[in-house]
Amino acid sequence: MHALSKIIARHANRESVEVGEIVNVTPDYVMLNDRGAARAVDLFRKMGGDKVYDPDQIVVVFDHHYPPIRQQDSVSQKRTREWIKEQGITKFHAGEGIGHVIFPEKGYAFPGALIFGTDSHTVTNSALGCLATGLGHSDIASYLALGYNWLRVPEIIRFDLHGGFKPGVCAKDIALRIAQLYGEDAAPYLGVEFAGPLVARLPMSERLVLCNMVIDFGAKSGYIQPDETTARFMTQRAPNLRWTAEATDSVSDYTRTIDLDVGEIDSLVAVPHDLSNIQSASTLSDVRIDEAIFGTCTGGRIDDFRVAASLLKGRKLAPHTRMMVNPGSREVYLQAMREGIIDTMVEAGAVVGVPSCGPCSGCHQGMLAPAENAITNASRNFRGRFGSPEANAYVASSATVVASAIAGRIASPAEFMEH
Amino acid sequence: MLIKGRTWVFGRHVNTDLIFPKMWFRPTYEPGEMASHLMVGLDEDFPSKVKRGDIIVGGLNFGCGSSREEAAAAMKEAGIAAVVAPSFGRIYTRNCINVGLPIVVSPGIDEQVTQGDEIEIDLGQGFIRNPRTGYQARLPPMAPESLRLIQDGGIANYTRRILEERRKAATQTGS
Repeated sequence: MHALSKIIARHANRESVEVGEIVNVTPDYVMLNDRGAARAVDLFRKMGGDKVYDPDQIVVVFDHHYPPIRQQDSVSQKRTREWIKEQGITKFHAGEGIGHVIFPEKGYAFPGALIFGTDSHTVTNSALGCLATGLGHSDIASYLALGYNWLRVPEIIRFDLHGGFKPGVCAKDIALRIAQLYGEDAAPYLGVEFAGPLVARLPMSERLVLCNMVIDFGAKSGYIQPDETTARFMTQRAPNLRWTAEATDSVSDYTRTIDLDVGEIDSLVAVPHDLSNIQSASTLSDVRIDEAIFGTCTGGRIDDFRVAASLLKGRKLAPHTRMMVNPGSREVYLQAMREGIIDTMVEAGAVVGVPSCGPCSGCHQGMLAPAENAITNASRNFRGRFGSPEANAYVASSATVVASAIAGRIASPAEFMEH
Repeated sequence: MLIKGRTWVFGRHVNTDLIFPKMWFRPTYEPGEMASHLMVGLDEDFPSKVKRGDIIVGGLNFGCGSSREEAAAAMKEAGIAAVVAPSFGRIYTRNCINVGLPIVVSPGIDEQVTQGDEIEIDLGQGFIRNPRTGYQARLPPMAPESLRLIQDGGIANYTRRILEERRKAATQTGS
């Protein structure tokens, strides 16, 4: 069995499961974001739900519409707060950042865990060596009532990553390269494991970026085998938590393995409006950038802010370019302040917003006008995602986004690292 | 379960942002509200053109991206009889099953149907047919668990039934 199968088996109270089998599982934690909570609670009641199965398994995070800008969201958040109280749910985070950034920070994600969430990017957590997957509102409502839901045991593909990065290239570029080579449906319904000597050297922040992006290849969950980096991360984040990592039995547990030399990868950009439309940043220098969108569950961690500061220090944004920054969490925000990164960003001309999903939720400051071009370290360049359907969104790494904000056009970070 | 209907044909990688743009997100919806925004990311007039019993035909990876259940629920509410594509986004697939909307995988179907064709799908026998062209193909088998949920009318009915069984059992033990 693959480690992900073993995780499913354990949460189904079974010795073993077979690939393709459908089993009922009880997760360790279920994340409800503000929107997910409003919709799932509504559906939970319509299904005849009264008390949730286990309030301790539920984590509520307000990140999409927080602080609310529409009265309908204020009203629904008030209702959710009342519901949380009535249900005895104590894990509640409003204004503390994005669920997928908070989960690893607070130790809700851990090796061997099973995590559901009302959001497709729940897969981010799988970097810790767990199974983490997004579900719809009815699925979550049914779990709230019954304490379980069904999962199909997935086939697994493995990307073996090796080689060394060119200057300015990082995990995000690997994800874009996979989209380029294998398409947005590279892994439909599958588990995607990242392995190989390069992964062993990647810090947790970069592993989280890789696993965050697997949903945009169609995957059910990512996976990275827990190692010393994972153990160190857990000791820091949840020193008292006991966890058990699972391990894969044999090479026959993979339906496919793909070798990828990261040394061949340039700083890449997904051009509108599909993630598999990939070009090298250096070939797109005629694309004017009106707005850089920096943050999100893909690119809103402290390491992204450190990369931004290293490029922005002593520089200004191009006069015609604006930059919207939303830290991924309160902790990231505080740390970036302590390190002077927020100063550097604001001095360069950036605007800093609240720790939240930011413009990527489509409900926050920084929306685009028709015919404007934006570059973002978020995960998706879908039409209309950041405002006008007539705007163009380019997706790239944190380094490429910041380099482009300085240049006022799409630029490879290597241009600024050679100074 | 035999389904016949007029088709609307869409391309590859149609994401759920396009099927139900987030500017129409609401914490709760009035009856008919979700259907009134169906597919407006691709065609603003779609809600006024689509009729109950119509079938949506998509390309590869239809319904990829965001987990928003509105993408499936709006189709169900608009009376879409089935959605057919060579492959689907995973969460969208679950959402369709959960709202009781027949979701049908059929390799190459997007190349076999011209918008407006009336097609036939037999979920029980497992075939799809386009009478205008004479095209007919077998459908890959659907997991019996999924088919049962669709036939039950979705996960809400299932959940209601299990809750009732639990309550009955609790009352019996209590008395």
